[in-house]
Amino acid sequence: MAGIVKPPGAFAITPHKVSVCILLQIYAPSVQISLPFPFSSVAQHNRLGLFLLALTKSCDDILEPKLDELIRQLREVCGLLHDWFIDHLTSRLSSISSPDDLFNFFTDMRGILGGPESGVMEDDQVILDPSSNLGMFLRRCILAFNLLSFEGVCHLLTNIGHYCKEALSSCPSYEAACSEDSNSNLEALLEYENMDLENLVFEKVTEEIEARKSASETVPFHLHAPQTFFGLVEDIEVLVDVKPKQGDKDREASSYVHPPNDTSRDFEPNCGIFLRSNWQIQGYLQEQADAIEKNGSCVSLNSFELILRRLHKLAPELHRVHFLRYLNSLCHDDYFAALENLHRYFDYSAGTEGIDIVPPASGCNNFGRYEIALLFLGMMHFRLGHPKQALEVLTEAVCVSQQQSNDTCLAFTLAAVCNMLSEIGVSSTSGILGSSFSPSTSIGISLSVQQQLFVLLRGSLKRAESLKLKRLVTSNRLAKAKFDLTHVQRPLLSFGPKASMKLKTCPINVCKELRLSSHLISEFGSESSTMTTDGAFSTVWLKNLQNPLGSVVSSQENGSGSNTNAFQFYAQPSSIPGSVLQLIGSSYLLRATAWEIYGSAPLARINALIYATCFTDALSSSDAALAYVKLIQHLAVFRGYKEAFAAIRIAEEKFLSVSKSRILLLKLQLLHEHNLHLGNLKLAQKVCDELGVLASSVTGVDMELKTEASLRHARTLLAANQFSEAAAVAHSLFCMCYKFNLQVENATVLLLLAEIHKRSGNAVLGLPYALASLSFCQSFNLDLLRASATLTLAELWLSLGSNHAKRALSLIHGAFPMILGHGGLELCARAYIAEAKCYLSDPSFSVFDNPEVVLDPLRQASIELQVLEYHELAAEAFYLMAIVFHKLGQFEEREEAAASFQKHMMALENPQQEQRFLFSI
Amino acid sequence: MIELEGPLGKSDAVNRELVSLERELSTLRKNAAIDPFGLYLYGLVLKEKGSDSLARTVLVEAVNSYPWNWNAWSELQSLCTTIDSLNSLNLNNHWMKDFFLASAYQELRMHNESLAKYENLLGTFGFSNYIQAEIAKARYSLREFEQVEAIFEELLRNDPYRVEDMDMYSNVLYAKECFSALSYLAHRVFMTDKYRPESCCIIGNYYSLKGQHEKSVMYFRRALKLNKNYLSAWTLMGHEFVEMKNIPAAVDAYRRAVDINSCDYRAWYGLGQTYEMMGMPFYALHYFRKSVFLQPNDSRLWIAMAQCYDTERLSMLEEAIKCYRRAANCNDREAIALHRLAKLHYELGRPEEAAFYYKKDMERMEAEEREGPNMVEALLYLATYYKAQKRFEEAEAYCTRLLDYTGPEKETAKSLLRGMRTAQSNIPSMDVEHLPP
Repeated sequence: MAGIVKPPGAFAITPHKVSVCILLQIYAPSVQISLPFPFSSVAQHNRLGLFLLALTKSCDDILEPKLDELIRQLREVCGLLHDWFIDHLTSRLSSISSPDDLFNFFTDMRGILGGPESGVMEDDQVILDPSSNLGMFLRRCILAFNLLSFEGVCHLLTNIGHYCKEALSSCPSYEAACSEDSNSNLEALLEYENMDLENLVFEKVTEEIEARKSASETVPFHLHAPQTFFGLVEDIEVLVDVKPKQGDKDREASSYVHPPNDTSRDFEPNCGIFLRSNWQIQGYLQEQADAIEKNGSCVSLNSFELILRRLHKLAPELHRVHFLRYLNSLCHDDYFAALENLHRYFDYSAGTEGIDIVPPASGCNNFGRYEIALLFLGMMHFRLGHPKQALEVLTEAVCVSQQQSNDTCLAFTLAAVCNMLSEIGVSSTSGILGSSFSPSTSIGISLSVQQQLFVLLRGSLKRAESLKLKRLVTSNRLAKAKFDLTHVQRPLLSFGPKASMKLKTCPINVCKELRLSSHLISEFGSESSTMTTDGAFSTVWLKNLQNPLGSVVSSQENGSGSNTNAFQFYAQPSSIPGSVLQLIGSSYLLRATAWEIYGSAPLARINALIYATCFTDALSSSDAALAYVKLIQHLAVFRGYKEAFAAIRIAEEKFLSVSKSRILLLKLQLLHEHNLHLGNLKLAQKVCDELGVLASSVTGVDMELKTEASLRHARTLLAANQFSEAAAVAHSLFCMCYKFNLQVENATVLLLLAEIHKRSGNAVLGLPYALASLSFCQSFNLDLLRASATLTLAELWLSLGSNHAKRALSLIHGAFPMILGHGGLELCARAYIAEAKCYLSDPSFSVFDNPEVVLDPLRQASIELQVLEYHELAAEAFYLMAIVFHKLGQFEEREEAAASFQKHMMALENPQQEQRFLFSI
Repeated sequence: MIELEGPLGKSDAVNRELVSLERELSTLRKNAAIDPFGLYLYGLVLKEKGSDSLARTVLVEAVNSYPWNWNAWSELQSLCTTIDSLNSLNLNNHWMKDFFLASAYQELRMHNESLAKYENLLGTFGFSNYIQAEIAKARYSLREFEQVEAIFEELLRNDPYRVEDMDMYSNVLYAKECFSALSYLAHRVFMTDKYRPESCCIIGNYYSLKGQHEKSVMYFRRALKLNKNYLSAWTLMGHEFVEMKNIPAAVDAYRRAVDINSCDYRAWYGLGQTYEMMGMPFYALHYFRKSVFLQPNDSRLWIAMAQCYDTERLSMLEEAIKCYRRAANCNDREAIALHRLAKLHYELGRPEEAAFYYKKDMERMEAEEREGPNMVEALLYLATYYKAQKRFEEAEAYCTRLLDYTGPEKETAKSLLRGMRTAQSNIPSMDVEHLPP
């Protein structure tokens, strides 16, 4: 079957390629031919080099640009030097008049190729590496020329003649067909003849100009190409001494004088009907795929489908289109269309295109790579919420890739299985892993889901490392870091020598994995871009080429601005593929989460910030929203709600359509907290209920969200002093967390239970809960939570009586570094108040000796609580302050504190006043 | 016009003039200044542009005003992909309509209806070779190969230079493995016109039957070069590639057949089989599902699907049972379904169902007068089953039948019989003991 890849023999030498060769000669002149070196700066030289690179990359075209289009591009790219280039190009092209000239030309071209044998070279000589992109292109051209028969050379010669003529005469049948066809087109030929006659008239004029020019300027001129270039001459004249913005106007004016000149501009609207090159289409598809991956909902299902269908009609052998159709229907949850297109794509491509697969060592090519189809099918089922089928398919993929010894696919499949297990395995304890499933058969059957996941992760990572699949290694490392973050290390098997395993999570492991994962970017940075990105690369180039063209039109209105776009062209596209950036980005996001859990607020914030600022281009919008959410949460905890709500408003504008749910979630969370603090419990409960509704969406239950909702429910009940109800909710929540192995949440729930008992006055009952929470925190390295558990413990001790005040105080002091370093406003304030209370209730402490020891923390606490608008605690702080002042006999201060106390109490009892503000949000 | 790269070189073309053509023709139609042939042309343009419903109305107008334009009818037929769209056509009564309907029914896989129409038409047009061939086509779809062969022999007598539809004849000969007849046919069409897709296809079939798959592929390819939408050539070429173990090429060929006409159940079936061969039963299920949807009365498809479910890796036995049951209901020629059903039920611990299916299987074998290991197995199972049910008479009957066979089963039957006799002689005495005096 004929594939979409052209056979290597299809590289034919064409006039366009000859022009590129001429430009190459300018770029890297050989020693023998003493061309003047026109570049005044290295930047100019590089610019030409980049342009040539873009040209060679888009050279596998179906249809090649005409000479005048090339000239126009040159003019956009090369700035002041373009006149010289264009002149050289045209003169060189038209100087080729016999087959022998062509032979000589290509012999000269060979001279600019560097090589091991070309011993002596001058310092400033540019040598073209034969294995570089440009060098390869040149070598292919030379080879293609050498393979030509004599008739072929003659054809090339006539084609070059047409190529030049067409550009000059700008014939009306411009969009007719390829240049090869035109020599049969008698009518067109006749037209050319007529044009030539016309040109002769102009030629005299131009010669005059030329004469004048060469007299005044150093730039040499050999204008063999008359008519269209007449306009150019005008341009040059202007560009030399006037600013470019006026140049546009003048060019416009000159185009009225010489109507034929207009066609070069008119070309742009007709552009739509021109065929694009294979690479361009591939690049376009790649781009769209990236866009869908980044943010599926931004692509409309039907309109994109329409484009794809048209594309398919025009290029039936371009099977990638089916893949895009699959992606499109997948992200719009169209199961049947997705399934259909997936099967169709893999039937046609046999899995041998796309994915950057390392070619197998053994020659098993005969069989196609249908295991990749299975991998994709599995991921599709998973994505559409059929985990059982997904598992079935992925198991099959494992078997088939083992059979075909396709290790790469196996590694990817295992990673997919891991991913799936980590997403669904935790929330459903049994049922999915039936007896039929055990890719890791050697381990045995009695593994729990998590253990199985761990084994798989390790296996997949090892395999990926040995295969040097960098992206996979990275994503595996991230998955492992995620796993390490939330799972206590346990011996895998119940039998065997019991190694001394500490029952702990390992932050070191997490950090190690995360750090190792970001090595990827340096590896990719040093490496040249890979095959798959080539297509995208060339479209980026061509897009950049188009930009300045557009600006020429628009700048006629506003005068300036043509320069800004020119700069855009020089901005080189980064050679790091988007998927890599995405992975690296998610490593930062994971870092932020890790630090959040471990309790280092500044580090979490920094990582989220890095993510949000450095990876904006690459990241998917939902991930970006997540980063923003983290930052806003941080803001709320450390700066109070007003700023947080202001930030939310900005975020909402930014993520208007996408991931609304995430921002909405954050809003609900913040509203709940705020209402709790204000004492507006009814509203808090309402918000909390809404949160609960969000937890069970159509697609399935979000366990994390569900826990959070009931946690908040319990806290609301606690704030309403309904202790037994709160305890019941917390208790059932604990049972659920225990059942589904949500260890981190367990610690929080235990702490809440301790809190409930403390508030209800049963300090003795609260103690065991606080201690249990402490031990959980210790084994999971949850430092911040641990500090707050210690604080609660201290408060519990304190409420047992004044004789425990010393112990409580020492506990608080122990936790202070952590709390002050990383804790939010609320936690700090609580700690300050607790400290003050400890001092006050200590019988051996006297206020008169050192009042500041008590007053200072209270003052701090009151400031922070006022920012937070936490009325209840603020009232308490002011109350304590008033009492101290009273004892000290400072009545004026006492009155002030008492007034503040009263104010906060009033606010707490009348929460309605604040409501208006909240609803306005 | 732009030529497009096809699988076998440049073939397809995109016509840029459709828009202007449509504009012109639609104004003509509005002014009623268009004749039936112009309407036909307009319909073609509309169909090419993808506005199907309007194309249908226009073509209906065309055939109503001039019914003898068969091309218009066949374009109309290609636009009627469902029975509803066919029934909604507002056609004048004319004998051409019967031809159209018969052909449309055939395309919609309503073979019996189509056959009836054609036989009806044959009464009027007694000597029409076309109708004969169409009848053969319908019968071929109903898998009545004997009649098909007879019809074609008759056809060849009447029209010795006929090439149309002869590929189907060659398929029948292929299925019946008639080497000499097939080679004779191939030679004949080769002499008549070797550059017809049908001739190439027949020659391809001939080579395939001889086991020369490379040559066979070459001829199918030539057929496709002559007509790239030649459905059966794609499918047959897929079969050849499967024989040559060139899986990707086979899949590609089948897929092209399916994309030309998504109702080609053979190609779907071929795709499924190919994937199953590669050890991807779950993946193959998708294709089998497609094929059984299109041809729900073909036991082979159901059995293929059931075997996928039945594989060790999937072992979705309940689903397999369902498929086997469907296969058994539609006249399973190879007699796989009943046997597998009995076995599966036995494995799943449902002795009654197992006995039922073993019995049915045995009855079938008796009716077809076949013997074999399946027979022995069925007899043995039934004997032990009835013994366990304490229905000794039936059990004895099966045991005695087993005694006719040689092998270990004979001994088992003997011991079963012995056991039953002792049990029977004990029962009365035990009964006596238990009776109160």
